[in-house]
Amino acid sequence: MAQTRSSTTVRKPDARLTRGARRTSSPYLVYALQRVAQAVAVVLLAYCFTFLVISVLPGDPVTNTLRNPENNFTEEEIARIVAYYGLDQPVHVQLWESLSRFLTGDLGVSLRSNLPVSRLIGEIIGSTLVLAVSALVVAVVLAFGIAYGTRNLPAPLARPLRAFPSLFLSVPNFVIGLLLINIFAFQLGLFQVIDSEGPAATFFAAVALGIPVSAQIAEVLIANLDHEARQEYAGFATSRGLSRSRLFWRHLLKPSSLPVVTVVALTVGELLGGALITETIFGRTGVGSLVQRSVTTQDLPVLQAVVVLAAITFVVVNLVVDLVYPLLDPRVDLRGATKRVRPVTEGASA
Amino acid sequence: MTTITTEATEGPQAPGGWKPSALRRGRGSRRVPPLGVVASFAMLLLVVGWSLAPGLFTGQDPARGVPADAFQGPSVAHWFGTDHLGRDEFARVVHGSASSVTSALVAVAIGVLVGGLIGLVAGFIGSWVDVALSRVVDVLLAIPSFLLAVVVVSALGFETINAAIATGVSAVAVFARVMRSEVLRTRRAVFVEASLLLGGSRMHVLLRHVLPNASRSVLNLAVLQFGLSILVIAGLAFLGYGDPPPASDWGLLVSSGKDYPLAPWLVYTPALVTIATVLSANRISRWLRKTD
Repeated sequence: MAQTRSSTTVRKPDARLTRGARRTSSPYLVYALQRVAQAVAVVLLAYCFTFLVISVLPGDPVTNTLRNPENNFTEEEIARIVAYYGLDQPVHVQLWESLSRFLTGDLGVSLRSNLPVSRLIGEIIGSTLVLAVSALVVAVVLAFGIAYGTRNLPAPLARPLRAFPSLFLSVPNFVIGLLLINIFAFQLGLFQVIDSEGPAATFFAAVALGIPVSAQIAEVLIANLDHEARQEYAGFATSRGLSRSRLFWRHLLKPSSLPVVTVVALTVGELLGGALITETIFGRTGVGSLVQRSVTTQDLPVLQAVVVLAAITFVVVNLVVDLVYPLLDPRVDLRGATKRVRPVTEGASA
Repeated sequence: MTTITTEATEGPQAPGGWKPSALRRGRGSRRVPPLGVVASFAMLLLVVGWSLAPGLFTGQDPARGVPADAFQGPSVAHWFGTDHLGRDEFARVVHGSASSVTSALVAVAIGVLVGGLIGLVAGFIGSWVDVALSRVVDVLLAIPSFLLAVVVVSALGFETINAAIATGVSAVAVFARVMRSEVLRTRRAVFVEASLLLGGSRMHVLLRHVLPNASRSVLNLAVLQFGLSILVIAGLAFLGYGDPPPASDWGLLVSSGKDYPLAPWLVYTPALVTIATVLSANRISRWLRKTD
């Protein structure tokens, strides 16, 4: 694939001289305001999109339950309840009411348990956050380990190591989970499957979730390191007798790992989606298992809320990274920036 | 091997444009693909063969179980062993590949057509159309793709074809983004300007210049996405969002095999087939990118 061009330009040496003549307001402020506005728009659109996808459902669960002969409702009662939930309204009216409730922070009521969705999610979100954050730590450590190995190990070891990200990306994450359980729980007895929230079980669940994510980070990191290693300054440092590992730590790592921050932000979606499967395999109670239960019981308000929260998480993390990145990386010049900073090479789109 | 060449960022090419270096380097490496790529093509051919004519590859009936033969390890008679009903696991994998491979192809087709169209329109028309479509793509990117697939499949109903559609929907954003950036890249090229000045219509420019230049990146992404789609569909089948059990999707096989920890081959054989298929698609995609 050809390089995905970022919309920002790397500042040319003489850019400083011609700078600031045309624009009075700070380019960073303009950029930040644009990004925040975009983020808000995306979250609102995500809410509408999910609502529309979910309302495509043939037959709504409320009607299904109410018309169940066992429940023995009269037509009048059914009509009253349907009107209470607003299900007799056209879709766009329902969307508008649901959206305005969402804007006041009300996520609706679960159709199954009649509890507020925010409470249902609040009870279990901690477990998923712990899992996702530990998985991210595992992924970052693993990715940097692999990247370090490819540059500092002797060639016979480093070459096969380069195939690891590709391999990790090819393994279904449920297979990794099953493999870890089989080896570390059943054969070595390092953790109990029953104690699914214990630290050992959480660690292995995080490994299962983190391995595919580490592949994406490692791919970009390795590509950046290779790119930096081809630069003149690296050749100069080597010719002056700098050792490989010193070159790596002192010179290559910093410019290579800065763009990785944006890749890490992009993997948030992967972590949340993958948690669905990992939580099922490891028998954890979390957002993933809540989604599964809601899918089987057609508990739409819960599904809607989870999807929107996931989108919000993704958007906020990426917004923060996009806002902080120009401050971290002096190579980014915002004057040409129209949308977002993505100074990453290939691999990020996968 | 897995290095991503950053220096090979050649611009869009005019038709018939002559690039000496590309000719020498590109053709040379294309004539003799590396061994790994040949093996990858062989693997994909094998899987396609399994899905087109499963009867040619296994004489066993995937649905007929011999209870006396239950839980046999892999052997000459049963390459992948047998399951709890004494059914031949290899036959089940081979017969299940049709559904796994077709689903992945459907997903990729949806991604290429819908995503490609969105990207093309956004990049080619520009202005407010581009802004609006880009926000739509941002929304699709913001929802975790597996979660999106789960929601779509639960809206459509638990069937393998719906899982394929859901996977396709979750891939739309990536295709749209790549297509848009390719179109934008080509539109800025000098030969496109020349073509317009010579009186070429927008349609002509689109068909003759923009699409051919974008096709390479999109093809590349399609191959990669084929592998990823197999993973997503396997994940959906694993959670039980595909066809119910007499079907033998690879993900479903792993899911039913996991209940028998003493017969690990029931998990590992379909898993290995899945991994080999996805790995092959990734390898070919990388090779295409490199010989670009």
